[in-house]
Amino acid sequence: MNSIADIQEEYNRLNLEEVKVTEKLDLLLSQQCHIEAKLRNVSLLVPRLNTVKSDAKHLSEMIHFTCTLAENVSAKVRELDIAKGRVSECQQRVNDLLDLQLCREGVISAMKSEDFEKAAAHVHRFLSIDETTLKLTAGDVAQGPTVDSSLVLLHEAQAQLCKVLQQKFDEAVRDSDAASVERFFKIFPLLNMHEEGISKFGSYLAVQLKDKTPKSLRPTDGDSNNIRANVLFADTLTVLLESVARIIEIHQPLVETYYGPGRLIQVVEHLQPECDKQANQILAEFRRSRQLDKQIRLVSEAKVLQEKCDPRVLDAVLAELTLLSSRTELYLRFVRRRIASDLEVGIPDQNSRQLRMNEFEKLLQSKVGISRAVQELLGHYIMLERYFLSESVSKAVAMDVAVEGSLTSSVVDDVFFLVKKSIRRSLTSCSIDSICAVINNACTLLEEDYALVFQQQCKQGFPSGYLDLTQAYNAIQSSLQQGSIRLQSSDTEKTKANFLTALNNIETSIDCIETLDKNVSQEIQVNLGSTITNRDQEKIKSCLNGFKTTTSKFRQLLDFGHEQLKSSAIKPRIKPWVDQLLSVNHVIDEEEFSCYEAQDPFIQELNLHLDGFMSGFKDSLTVNNYQTLIGTLTSQVAQQFEKVILKTNFNRLGALQLDKEVRALVTYLSTATTWTIRDRLTRLTQIVTLLNLENLAELTEYWGPNAGSITWRLTPQEVRQILMLRTDFRADEIKRLKL
Amino acid sequence: MEDYKYLFKVVLIGNAGVGKTCLVRRFTQGIFPPGQGATIGVDFMIKTVDIDGLKIKLQIWDTAGQERFRSITQSYYRSAHALILVYDVSAQPTFDCLPVWLREVEEYASPKVLRVLVGNKVDRDDREIPPAVGEAFSRMNNMYFIETSAKDCSNVDKLFQEIARELIQTMRNQRQETSQARQPGTIARTPIPMTGPLVNMRQLTLMAPPKSPGQNPTAASLDPPVL
Repeated sequence: MNSIADIQEEYNRLNLEEVKVTEKLDLLLSQQCHIEAKLRNVSLLVPRLNTVKSDAKHLSEMIHFTCTLAENVSAKVRELDIAKGRVSECQQRVNDLLDLQLCREGVISAMKSEDFEKAAAHVHRFLSIDETTLKLTAGDVAQGPTVDSSLVLLHEAQAQLCKVLQQKFDEAVRDSDAASVERFFKIFPLLNMHEEGISKFGSYLAVQLKDKTPKSLRPTDGDSNNIRANVLFADTLTVLLESVARIIEIHQPLVETYYGPGRLIQVVEHLQPECDKQANQILAEFRRSRQLDKQIRLVSEAKVLQEKCDPRVLDAVLAELTLLSSRTELYLRFVRRRIASDLEVGIPDQNSRQLRMNEFEKLLQSKVGISRAVQELLGHYIMLERYFLSESVSKAVAMDVAVEGSLTSSVVDDVFFLVKKSIRRSLTSCSIDSICAVINNACTLLEEDYALVFQQQCKQGFPSGYLDLTQAYNAIQSSLQQGSIRLQSSDTEKTKANFLTALNNIETSIDCIETLDKNVSQEIQVNLGSTITNRDQEKIKSCLNGFKTTTSKFRQLLDFGHEQLKSSAIKPRIKPWVDQLLSVNHVIDEEEFSCYEAQDPFIQELNLHLDGFMSGFKDSLTVNNYQTLIGTLTSQVAQQFEKVILKTNFNRLGALQLDKEVRALVTYLSTATTWTIRDRLTRLTQIVTLLNLENLAELTEYWGPNAGSITWRLTPQEVRQILMLRTDFRADEIKRLKL
Repeated sequence: MEDYKYLFKVVLIGNAGVGKTCLVRRFTQGIFPPGQGATIGVDFMIKTVDIDGLKIKLQIWDTAGQERFRSITQSYYRSAHALILVYDVSAQPTFDCLPVWLREVEEYASPKVLRVLVGNKVDRDDREIPPAVGEAFSRMNNMYFIETSAKDCSNVDKLFQEIARELIQTMRNQRQETSQARQPGTIARTPIPMTGPLVNMRQLTLMAPPKSPGQNPTAASLDPPVL
């Protein structure tokens, strides 16, 4: 506080505070009467509160009273309840005792009359009685000894019944008396012998299966005239699996009714080993009869061995292999589905259900199981299918011929027919892994063996002879059609035609791969869509992606082919044609200009040349290839034109002449193709625009901010260089241009 | 579109029971499933990893080791970017089979494929193959080498990360090559080693075994490849 200013500030602050305090005080004072009114109201309420309090007290007393009363009542009810429970227990026990007596008599008479169902029902009733309490009761009751003797007797009866039942069951099995088997099967659960019953029944069914199948194995051995001879073993396996499935289906309701849900798995566990045994016999016979092991050896050692395995022989075996797989797959799916739905009801706990299911899965995958045997066969199938495809494809390549009326040769159709056939066949196997493997192998084959053929053809290049191409192509076509190839004179033509065919083959192959990809995806969805898991869908999708890789490989190859064509056919041809422009004077007067108009010095001939060149290719290339060729040709002409222009001088009229020439070229090329190629000529037309300036000042109307819709493809340096070609523009002025 | 820069296919091969499925499960799901049943055919998993800020999608194909699935597995070799050949360090027979596997790789895989040798189950006390032996084998056959344990998780992430890293590098080199080829006039540099067999063996970090530390100190101190 040592300066006036400080003091002043403090003073102001205090003043402000004072004002605030006064305001607050005013506010409080103004509220005073309001508060007083409220207080008055409150004081009025006090006496009323007293009444409320006494009322509440009264109410509470009443509630308390009611509560005690209720408790008293409920205690009595509880006592009553207990008493009632005891009474009913007593009743139950009396009932039990009566039943025991009844059972005892019933069993004796039933056993006498061999009515096992009735006897078992009595034993079942007896077994449901709690024996220990019964014995206790027996002590209290006067008829004690009777109870004890009844118990003994009933136990004896049970044991006897067990023995008789097993004996009878075995007898029935021996006599293959299905009705009796079923009859006794139903009795087992009544004696609490579920496990035993199921196990006996399971083995009975297994024996049934065993007895049934040998009759159907090899029914037409050696009879090759039968149309089903090629799939004999697939048919036999189908019969076996169908009969197993039928057994399961027929007996499921029986088991479920008398043994409860969740027991089917035990029956199947008895049945499956027999099924596996039978199936393995069939598969072993299949291997032997179709000489599978020999084929496998021939194929896996194909490089060393002299003897070759004929793909046509394989054809039938492959088809049968996929059938074997699909039947098995179908059967396994059926069994798994049945078991799973049965277990779902039988075992409510999910974890123990899963455990049980895993156990069953282990049985299915067992070392001697059909599943494993088929997996092994599928392994061979994939290898043989790969061999089949690669052999057939190399045959198709070796027998490649030109096809009349087609731009491609026979190899394309043949190869894609084979690939499609192979993949389709794999689809019938219903095994996702096999389908994926076959698709993978097909992609490999297309990318390596098949693409290699075209790669070699492209590498050889397009021979640059002077003979007209139309002639060349016609010559080779006609000679091929006549069947005699006149080689000596037409060697070059042949190579040319071959090259173009290769180009077409590549282009068509890309289409074919894309179609194949689409069709295969569709067919998989149609045939297997409902049965495959998401994971498998992803797997297939990923393998089908291989086709995309293959396509891009073929596109690269196509680019390479066009590059070859450019360097050997287009470039050397068009150079002399365009160079003709050098011999045409473009520094001309009016008279010469009209002379040119009367008799064209250059462009008509160039267009004629180009026309001849293109028509030579038009009928020998696919639409896309032809378009690519025109594109390349246009770019090359434009480039060469540019080079020649840079070697020529122009005056105003000369530039006008050039303008006419370039316009004629652009018009001609645009009409020659449906595809827009003007883009490739942009630089050229821009050069012509520059050369046609009236004077240098006019440039500002086109360049820089006034360029408008023109996107210049020329650099400022190039613009100067081009303007220099005009004899009537001054070099120093051009240099001074601001670009 | 999914958000990733590259997609690489990695295929695991090797005898039955060496722990291929466990390695894949550990890497993709972070679990070690005990009592794993034998793989049937092939299985595949996808995991996206982040390498220096790049999202890399690894498509991992886990194959069955059993003989009867061989023709299925073989069909995946050619499209693979990397092949992981796994053996069990506690089972000599799985190591003895390696030459057979390599012959298959030679026959079916692309020559450019990245090949990695993995000794799995280093957590076990009954080791039969010392790290030096595995490493020598990998060196002789121009392969990368690493020892792992799917059980205690050691080196599992590293294995796949390094593979992704290496594949990115290969990809970049290829790009460079093609762009150089397109420019006429520039002199092409010496070809990238990845296109031929690996001449310069570079080492993935080798995990020193807990039982015998210092047995192979040189290998343990080598750094992973630098990008």
